[in-house]
Amino acid sequence: MNLSSRSRILIQGIDSPQATQYALQMKAYGTNIVAGISAGLGGETIAEIPVFDLVEDAIAKVGKVEATLIFVHPYQVLDAAKEALAAKIPRILLLTNGVPPLDLICLLREAKKTDTLILGPGSSGIIIPEKISLGKLNPEFYTSGKIGVISSSESLAYEVVLELNRVGLGQSFVVTIGNEPMIGSSFQQWLSILATDSNTEAIVLIGQPDSSQLEVANYYRNAKLKKPVIAYLVGLNAPKEKIYRDATTIIANQLSYSVSTDNNHNKIVNALKQAGVLIAKCPSEIPVLLSKTLLTEKLTQKN
Amino acid sequence: MELLEYQAKELFREVGIPVLPSQKIAEPRELKKLQIPYPVVLKSQVRVGGRGKAGGIRFVANTIDAIAAARAIFNLSILGEYPKFILAEAQFNAEQEFFLAVVLDYDLQCPVLLGSATGGMNVELLLENLQQVVVENDFSPFLARRLAVKMGLKSQLLQSVSDVIEKMYRLFQENDLELIEINPLGVNASGQLMALDGKITVNDYAWARHQELIALNSANQVSEILDSTQPQWSWYDDKGKVAIICNHPDLALLTWDLVVQNKGKPACCAVISDVDSALAASQQLSQVLAQLPDLKGLKVILINILTDQATEQKMIEAIAEYLEVIIEPQPKSTGEERQLVANGALVRSRPTSANKSSVNRKPLSSVKFVLRFLNSKLDWFPETELEKQVYWSQNLEEAVAQAISLVKSK
Repeated sequence: MNLSSRSRILIQGIDSPQATQYALQMKAYGTNIVAGISAGLGGETIAEIPVFDLVEDAIAKVGKVEATLIFVHPYQVLDAAKEALAAKIPRILLLTNGVPPLDLICLLREAKKTDTLILGPGSSGIIIPEKISLGKLNPEFYTSGKIGVISSSESLAYEVVLELNRVGLGQSFVVTIGNEPMIGSSFQQWLSILATDSNTEAIVLIGQPDSSQLEVANYYRNAKLKKPVIAYLVGLNAPKEKIYRDATTIIANQLSYSVSTDNNHNKIVNALKQAGVLIAKCPSEIPVLLSKTLLTEKLTQKN
Repeated sequence: MELLEYQAKELFREVGIPVLPSQKIAEPRELKKLQIPYPVVLKSQVRVGGRGKAGGIRFVANTIDAIAAARAIFNLSILGEYPKFILAEAQFNAEQEFFLAVVLDYDLQCPVLLGSATGGMNVELLLENLQQVVVENDFSPFLARRLAVKMGLKSQLLQSVSDVIEKMYRLFQENDLELIEINPLGVNASGQLMALDGKITVNDYAWARHQELIALNSANQVSEILDSTQPQWSWYDDKGKVAIICNHPDLALLTWDLVVQNKGKPACCAVISDVDSALAASQQLSQVLAQLPDLKGLKVILINILTDQATEQKMIEAIAEYLEVIIEPQPKSTGEERQLVANGALVRSRPTSANKSSVNRKPLSSVKFVLRFLNSKLDWFPETELEKQVYWSQNLEEAVAQAISLVKSK
């Protein structure tokens, strides 16, 4: 993904304390935030960022932007994202949690028409260490390197990155896709983005096991990626209440008044393994697997 | 948030889905003023399923029987739930029973229409004939007709059932529903349709923007919505040895997995959240510690919290307070000093009666704390005690190993 410290970034809902706080953190990291949006506060500045009433006003004044970060209330996310779509912003990052699913369905349909990337809702953002930080990720945790990390949440990304840093494996790109029941861009979409990223040599996926990893397995098997992919799935042992995602199972489960005990975890792990994805059992195993595969890759390249 | 049957039926009535005349009963004696002619059905208004089989539905022919039956229903708990209301409803002679639903499908990321021509109590048969139509784009009535055709309906029923599906979809869309279901949709000899039972679940995220639904629910029911700002223990295992506290659900899953992988037995788990909460993270920590379940085998509390140093400091204070250790305020460190220096200014305080009564503390002499914090060392916990009670590691897997070795050492 073509993002750098030169990328021009917008923040919608910049007046919220959270947005202001993260705007300062991002700016300190060198992120080029060119404008903020807050209806009624046009003409003011927040965190030394010029504020506009409308996205279109901001773009008329400061020029095109590469991405917008949306920090508004969950019930205003759809509207804010539609405003960004109308202004043809190619990437929309939703940092807000709790967006009603019917709003999200509407947004995803619109975004699909224009091939706009939607990250989140409930994402903590993206960081390319030493280049750019978009969102809430604490830049202190990350070091620059060659490993791409796709995580459902910030805390899982931290756990993995701590282990990578310990053995000197820095990161080329870290993205948190959000762990809401319904999200825009998936593990598989980000895997395909990082597959073509020239700075990324290997990719680590971390999240809870669900049907989205079956997509990953499918994609990885068919795309014949050269880059090694390591998956670390959490929640395999926890007595978490099972969440049913497809309509028929939801109904079947609800009608039979019993929570079925079958789980798809084995199916998901096996599908990933069969596709050639390496499975890590704990965070410390990730760098071990990475070093091994990267070393083998280098040896085969030499020969 | 799930609505009760009578609330679902009020919404059905509003959009013109046929429902029987009915009356909400809060006390058995209200049946004396029943407006509906006998015979009637009395239905326990509980959210859990299976009330028919449990005895929560009774047919009655006169007031005396009705009052007796109502008393029995009010005293009948169905899977632990007692009804606050009974719905008294006219009877309907159904010759056929259909199942209809609109459900949010999270895999497909769109609503799905579901229908079965064999609705009612026989779940296996219902599911065997379950048909589905995916609403990929905007809804249009032909999708409802497509479902009705798939269900095998013809002529007049095809039209009238499609009409009900269309109205269900309207409710689904307008009220941000997760699920709307009619089971059974009765059909009598003259082909008249009747929604005999209904289920509506409102999406939890969208609930707050539907004032009319909040009004529909009486105040005591609204309070049943889980307050996400109140951290709670969950995933109990009576034989567990390790209680886990984390600051993100994902982190809790990860930590739990690691304990199990290392052959430890987790006992329970609590997630505190430093965002979207009125209470500060350290206050939530105090709260969950005060509510620590009384599990005999509990040996270790493993706390894995990834946060900034200032928050860690407050957490440590909360733990110290729980252990009744008083930490003298640290001199504020200036500049970028990453490591707080212990000043040894620690005193074991006598528990005063005031703070004893405020929280229900259980003696914790045998329970150890293992903390996984990134920044703070724990030099300010007393080393002078007979045995150490608090351990610290920067590394999660080391912390887990420590917790498990503490369990085994006893």
